[in-house]
Amino acid sequence: MLPRNKKNNFFSGPGIRTRTARGLLSLGALAIVYGVAAEIGRGRLPDRIWLGTHYVENVQLLPPYGSLAEEAVFLLQSGILLSSIAVSAGRVLLGFMLGAAFGILLGIATGRATRAEYLADPWVTFFRFTPALALLPLFVLWFGYGEGSKVLLIAASVAVVTLLGAHQGVRSVPRVYLEAASALGASPGLAFRKIVLPAALPHIFASLRIGLGLAWVTIVVAELIDARMPSLGYLLTLAGAYPRVPTMVVGIATIGALVLAFDLLALAVHAQATRWMRRTA
Amino acid sequence: MERLKNQRLMLGLASLGAMVLSYTLLSHSHLLRPEIVPPAREIAVAFTELVVGTHPPPPMEGDVHAGHQMHSSDHVGTLLQQGVTLQGSLAITAARVLFGLAAGVPLGILLGLLMGFSRRADDYLHPIYVLLRSVPPLALITYVMLWLGHSEAHRLIPIVYAVAATMVIPAYHGARDVLGTYVLAARSLGARRWLLIRKVLVPAAGPTVLAGLRYAVAIAWMTAVGSEMLMSENGMGNLIVGGGLWASRTQTKADPAVVIVGIVALATAGWAMDALAKAGTARLTRWVR
Repeated sequence: MLPRNKKNNFFSGPGIRTRTARGLLSLGALAIVYGVAAEIGRGRLPDRIWLGTHYVENVQLLPPYGSLAEEAVFLLQSGILLSSIAVSAGRVLLGFMLGAAFGILLGIATGRATRAEYLADPWVTFFRFTPALALLPLFVLWFGYGEGSKVLLIAASVAVVTLLGAHQGVRSVPRVYLEAASALGASPGLAFRKIVLPAALPHIFASLRIGLGLAWVTIVVAELIDARMPSLGYLLTLAGAYPRVPTMVVGIATIGALVLAFDLLALAVHAQATRWMRRTA
Repeated sequence: MERLKNQRLMLGLASLGAMVLSYTLLSHSHLLRPEIVPPAREIAVAFTELVVGTHPPPPMEGDVHAGHQMHSSDHVGTLLQQGVTLQGSLAITAARVLFGLAAGVPLGILLGLLMGFSRRADDYLHPIYVLLRSVPPLALITYVMLWLGHSEAHRLIPIVYAVAATMVIPAYHGARDVLGTYVLAARSLGARRWLLIRKVLVPAAGPTVLAGLRYAVAIAWMTAVGSEMLMSENGMGNLIVGGGLWASRTQTKADPAVVIVGIVALATAGWAMDALAKAGTARLTRWVR
């Protein structure tokens, strides 16, 4: 759970135990409501659905836990789920690292040098307001189907976000610090390492976290649009084509769990990297 | 200051010009295939055709081959046959974006404020919110379609969902991080509910919420275009991928000229909406400074 800022907490509330219990209670209630709804819905919800052009048969709109578990076990045992996860997560990580490296370097450059900012400004503005997904058809033409276009699409969407984060971070360094450092004889390199970079780090990490979320949004849709190899988007597309709802739900849950895990990881890294900022006040 | 502004303008224009120039040179150099990097003229042709809504007068029967420069792709042809225009598609997508904002923003703000003000609600709702937020809205689109059929609603729901999930965060932090001393001071001076909300909480949380709004606008455009690319017969996403992608994925091949026209239009529209949001925000939070 998110720790509350101590300063704001005038009415010291219930402890962490009560809070965890409450969270678990509500999650448990949600799970039970779903189970009950699935049981009630069985046989009552329509299983024949009109999709505009044709009917699909045997649809379980709310699959009960039994069939979800069955499906999950099947997908795990056949290795489909794990290989899909590996492929999608691999694309996300590769694209994320490429985009983050490019974005952070460029953001630091534009933050440090006004000329670079002016030169980059029209392009940053342009790509900032271009929905990354709209670039996909172009990237498919340029870099082919397959890995290149997907990884670069993720890189592009991550680069824009991290560029803005790094730029803001570098700009947020108080000028006094830099002047003090140079008055004390610090070389520009030292000032950069010891002052600019640490001060910009929180902004950069915040943008990395947003970028990671964006990378997952991008990859899922890119894989849905161009569904070929085993991947999570492909799994969802297949499930949608039959349609097999248990597969769909397992796929959606897997994506959600991965996004959550990556986000928690990013938070942990952030906390670890900015440990020194914690003050004991 | 004036000099800096001038320099900014000059360097910005120079960088734009350099890009256009290098693109033109590259597309004419025959180093890259023209069907991948269309010459600037073709982009302009695609643009005018898509705005006017008709092909230019067809060339004489005899010089079909000679009239090569009057090329207009299958992609444009298919779109024009369906009566698609650039401004029409943009209007449809913008309408979806606005609907998503109109429905999603209040929803997200309400949930965020609820969790921010009440610790009890936060304890119960936050885990569920984190779970819901983790699912990319567009991953849900096939499942939602089973419930709602192939309708407008299932294109709008992912947008509303994405906007609401985005707006929860600034509203939550805006409400939670209101300085306790403010609330305490107002209370001890006798401010009760309505007065407290109007005079303390809204002014304190407002700027954060409005800043989040600009981010939500970008998310709404992204989701709208994505859902249109996946399954829609109209809108910008459909224009870019050349129509009916969901049904006939491989039959139409995207023309880069159309894609580029679409991207530029989307970027311009997104920028305009953001500028509006920025101006609105600045006006609404004049008292901050």
